[in-house]
Amino acid sequence: MSQSNGTAQKGRTLKFHILRFDPQLKGDKPRMETFEIEEQDSMTIFIGLNEIRKKYDASLQFDFVCRAGICGSCGMVINGRPDLACRTLTNTFPDGEITLLPLPAFELIGDLSVDTGKFMRNMSERMENWIHEEPDAEPRKLTVLEEKMDPDVATEIYELDRCIECGCCVSACGTARMRKDFLGAVGFMHVARFEMDPRDKRTDEDWYDLIGDDDGVFGCMSLMGCEDNCPKDLPHQNRIAYLRRKMVSAGT
Amino acid sequence: MASTAEGMKSLLEDRVVKSKWPARLDLAQSLSGLGLGLFMWTHLILVSSILFGKDAMLAITHVMEASFLTPDEAGGYTLIPALTAVGVFGLFIVHACLAMRKFPSDWKAHKTFRSQMAMMNHSDTNGWYTQVVTGFIMFFLGSVHLYIMATQADKIGPQLSADRMWTYGMWPLYLILLFAVEMHGAIGMYRLAIKWGVFDGKDPRATRKRLKVLKTLVTVFFLSLGLASLAAYVKIGIENVENNRVGERYVAGQEG
Amino acid sequence: MKIVYSDVLVIGGGLSGLRAAVASSKRGHSTVVISLVPAKRSHSAAAQGGMQASLAAASASRGDNEDVHFSDTIKGSDWGADQDVARMFANTAPKAIRELATWGVPWSRIKAGEREVVVNAKKVTITEEKQAEGLITSRNFGGTKKWRTCFTADGTGHTMLYAMDNKAIELGIDIHERKEALALIHSDGICNGAVVRDLITGELTAYVAKATVVATGGYGRLYKISTNAIICEGMGAAIALETGVTPLGNMEAVQFHPTAIVPAGILTTEGCRGDGGLLLDKDHYRFMPDYEPDKKELASRDVVSRRMTEHIRKGKGVPSPYGDHLWLDIRLLGKEHIDKNLREVKEICQYFLGIDPVTDLIPVQPTQHYSMGGVRTKPTGETPGLKGLFSVGEASCWDMHGFNRLGGNSVAETVVAGMIVGEYIADYCDDNSVDIKTSIVNDFIEREQAKIEKLCARDSGENVYDLKETMQNIMMDKVGIFRTEEDLVAAVSELTELHQRAKNIAIKTKTRSSNPELVEAMRVPRMIKIALCTAMGAQARKESRGAHAREDYPERNDKEWLKRTLAYWKNEDDPTPTLEYEDLDIMRMEMPPGSRGYGKDLTIHHPDTEKRVAEVEKLKEANPDVNRHELSELLNPIDLPERLRGLNERVGIGYE
Repeated sequence: MSQSNGTAQKGRTLKFHILRFDPQLKGDKPRMETFEIEEQDSMTIFIGLNEIRKKYDASLQFDFVCRAGICGSCGMVINGRPDLACRTLTNTFPDGEITLLPLPAFELIGDLSVDTGKFMRNMSERMENWIHEEPDAEPRKLTVLEEKMDPDVATEIYELDRCIECGCCVSACGTARMRKDFLGAVGFMHVARFEMDPRDKRTDEDWYDLIGDDDGVFGCMSLMGCEDNCPKDLPHQNRIAYLRRKMVSAGT
Repeated sequence: MASTAEGMKSLLEDRVVKSKWPARLDLAQSLSGLGLGLFMWTHLILVSSILFGKDAMLAITHVMEASFLTPDEAGGYTLIPALTAVGVFGLFIVHACLAMRKFPSDWKAHKTFRSQMAMMNHSDTNGWYTQVVTGFIMFFLGSVHLYIMATQADKIGPQLSADRMWTYGMWPLYLILLFAVEMHGAIGMYRLAIKWGVFDGKDPRATRKRLKVLKTLVTVFFLSLGLASLAAYVKIGIENVENNRVGERYVAGQEG
Repeated sequence: MKIVYSDVLVIGGGLSGLRAAVASSKRGHSTVVISLVPAKRSHSAAAQGGMQASLAAASASRGDNEDVHFSDTIKGSDWGADQDVARMFANTAPKAIRELATWGVPWSRIKAGEREVVVNAKKVTITEEKQAEGLITSRNFGGTKKWRTCFTADGTGHTMLYAMDNKAIELGIDIHERKEALALIHSDGICNGAVVRDLITGELTAYVAKATVVATGGYGRLYKISTNAIICEGMGAAIALETGVTPLGNMEAVQFHPTAIVPAGILTTEGCRGDGGLLLDKDHYRFMPDYEPDKKELASRDVVSRRMTEHIRKGKGVPSPYGDHLWLDIRLLGKEHIDKNLREVKEICQYFLGIDPVTDLIPVQPTQHYSMGGVRTKPTGETPGLKGLFSVGEASCWDMHGFNRLGGNSVAETVVAGMIVGEYIADYCDDNSVDIKTSIVNDFIEREQAKIEKLCARDSGENVYDLKETMQNIMMDKVGIFRTEEDLVAAVSELTELHQRAKNIAIKTKTRSSNPELVEAMRVPRMIKIALCTAMGAQARKESRGAHAREDYPERNDKEWLKRTLAYWKNEDDPTPTLEYEDLDIMRMEMPPGSRGYGKDLTIHHPDTEKRVAEVEKLKEANPDVNRHELSELLNPIDLPERLRGLNERVGIGYE
């Protein structure tokens, strides 16, 4: 049986190279620090970083919440790729060298901790990421049957609703790095999600108002960093292309 | 009162109605790129007719000059390639201007992008930078070529083109241009397919993988074709010098 | 001194906190939510399997209604729940889910026609009616009579939390992220907000409000291995406890989930078993039917977890470096089903175990999962000890779960309690104002600042991480699934000692701004207090009820223990909490104590039980013509906020 339980590489020495910088501290300068720890069975970067904090440096900053790959807190650049640290097993690095950088494109809190929350709240406000009913719609009575929905449509909405706002797509995007106001794939994914939701009554013109410019969908240069680094494998390329076609037909 | 209300209304509309220009410009950038890309592939295939001999190339040249409309079907209207060059030049400038909007706006943005490339080593991201660099190169070298074509369209032919390569020392320009065009074009065409999702089908990821392979194959194919053609012209150019025939126009069947 | 004023301060940005905030904000009260993390990262997102609500639209859920949901919940609680609250909950759950449907949750829907499902390891064909197509569907979960658990694939909590947070954003509710409440501000029996530390700058701010809501989730991280997010450390319960005047309820009621993966302790949803997955031992033998012939793998969680532990003790577990485990087998559900409805499970298996559940068995063991106990509240959500202090969700002991929560009832509680309590919070704000003196607010800030300074000033002392680990091991080993007097006495004495040692923590990093060690040093002593409440409650309770299983007292003892534990920490210098008790009045129960229908029934009945059973029967006989709504009204009259009243419609039967 193929019960690997994380191939045992116990005893190997892992080298964590971590960017250290606390912008709160006056005079602090960015630098790389290396920590060596012994690898354990099924060790993840989550476990490794906690061990470093306990044993070597209690001031090391990083963010984990669910530690199960579902909350999106622990996005960081792992050997050059933005990914979720909590579900990255150390045994996936054959040479045992692990370089960790904070996600770029977000405000740095300290070391590996960045403020994705602020970015995402702004994005949600900007895209108005909620169901827009008809302006004069009466609130639906809660005692009556819910409005019906095509089961396949519900499934398709969920496919896009799986985004966990980890920020990996934004950090992986050269465009977002160069242009501060560029919406980024996370925003497009939410727009695509609400655009396909029959409960949301926004029209193509409404969507054009939100994303019909170079900070929006026309700013996307199709670098595909989002598509190739999304921890949830969301269909970024396909959905952005769809929005682009839709917005061009709305705008011409 | 009424006029104030009107004024308010237009003010409101100004604020509310978003410009349609970003959509148009985005489409224009893609369409101009598509046009240029298709043109360049066609162009190279036509030019590569030299690999089938001077007569083949001459025949193509004549077809392109619409010589079948002339009484003797020998010469042609060189105005046609000249005008084509002007047209392509126009499209080229339009495309360049549209694309430049996307370039790094300042040194800092450029540096950020370079550091992103260094961090990620991600092929599509790197590909875009390749396009920026090749686009930059084409802006200068392509302009030179297009200017020559527009002004000296009568000097296109198996011998005269070869002389331009060798005797007038243009081959290094064409060599660089060849690489720039083919890389820029293939990446651009791939990106167009991705950007608009035209071939996505049921499994966009599989499509993209296939498109990437296709992109490489197309690049290799056209680079090989281009290099071989360039070599053929250079060879003729050298022979022309040796045979003291520089500047002579080739006549159909002359070496047949 | 920095002060932020609002009508309502909600501590915690998960589902229940946000729903309460939405309620008060809609009623026109300025509302501020503070959260340790961005709201969408809250632990609510981890609820995979679903939310119970008796919509009765799917064919296997026909015949379901509030009464059946109520009855399942009470049986699940082992009669430890507050029946008024459970009734309020069951009646409101359909409304909550329908509201979320309008807010954007893409609930999985019914497709008309035949489909194959796996029931009891056999393929069965279910036919869904045309008239139900497009309505919200439901799946099977443990401890329920009907298929009642509504879901969005296996991302239910995620989609609910996103819809809820987006609603809060739409309403313009202020959500202050990366803030931690250190102490509740209160005087003369009234609570008026909290002292809050900014986790980035380290600055202390007083958030002064008419009503304060503790919605901080559970205390699962007292245990070494838990399915909970690492922020679930019971800090909301701790700051309520530290007021000294309001109690925590039933802290010993801690649920262990049967199927968390080994060794990471990450949950695989109950939906795995609900959809037909099996539990196998080291011989790949399906053992649950031997223990629970009726419900098999789908008995309530406490029962399944204990049966698994029993089976492992018989030497049937699969040995591993992390202790013996059992197998969860979902291979029989097929690739298509797993890819669509159990994808998070598949991802978890791939990333953390390197296996594919379509072809491989999943190593699982019972793991700490849920805190039934918490800040004790009245049915309105207000605490008995402090006016203006409310609590909702897992942080609270509103007490609809008693001693064991049913799967799918936790996310349901978050939004239902948020709705109901939210209205009561708004009512409270309508009738009250902030009268607290600034000097008192100032005292509270200074007290917290002084604690931080004292902590930073200490150069040598206890290591905070060692203390935490010791506590987690004590809880795991001695206050776990099966409990004995010997273990519990040891746990209490070790924790009492640990509590003293925790007064002498020294930290290496003295930075006052963002400093994880400082945060830990401020939390761990409070976690130890919560652990003490849990262990002492468990030691004192000499019976087995729901998730609280005493090997030395295996029977449920209604006669002596049909009561709720209330833990107070009356004086800051007390070495241990003070336990008091609150009786559950059988004579007011809609559903007098009886047998759960699964697990071993060893109940020692209370004399009132017989009386109440007879009384209920008599009432039914005396009113032969009443419908079920009127009967429930007779047996268990409840008070719900005006806008949440009304019967719930069901497909095909209307408001029956």
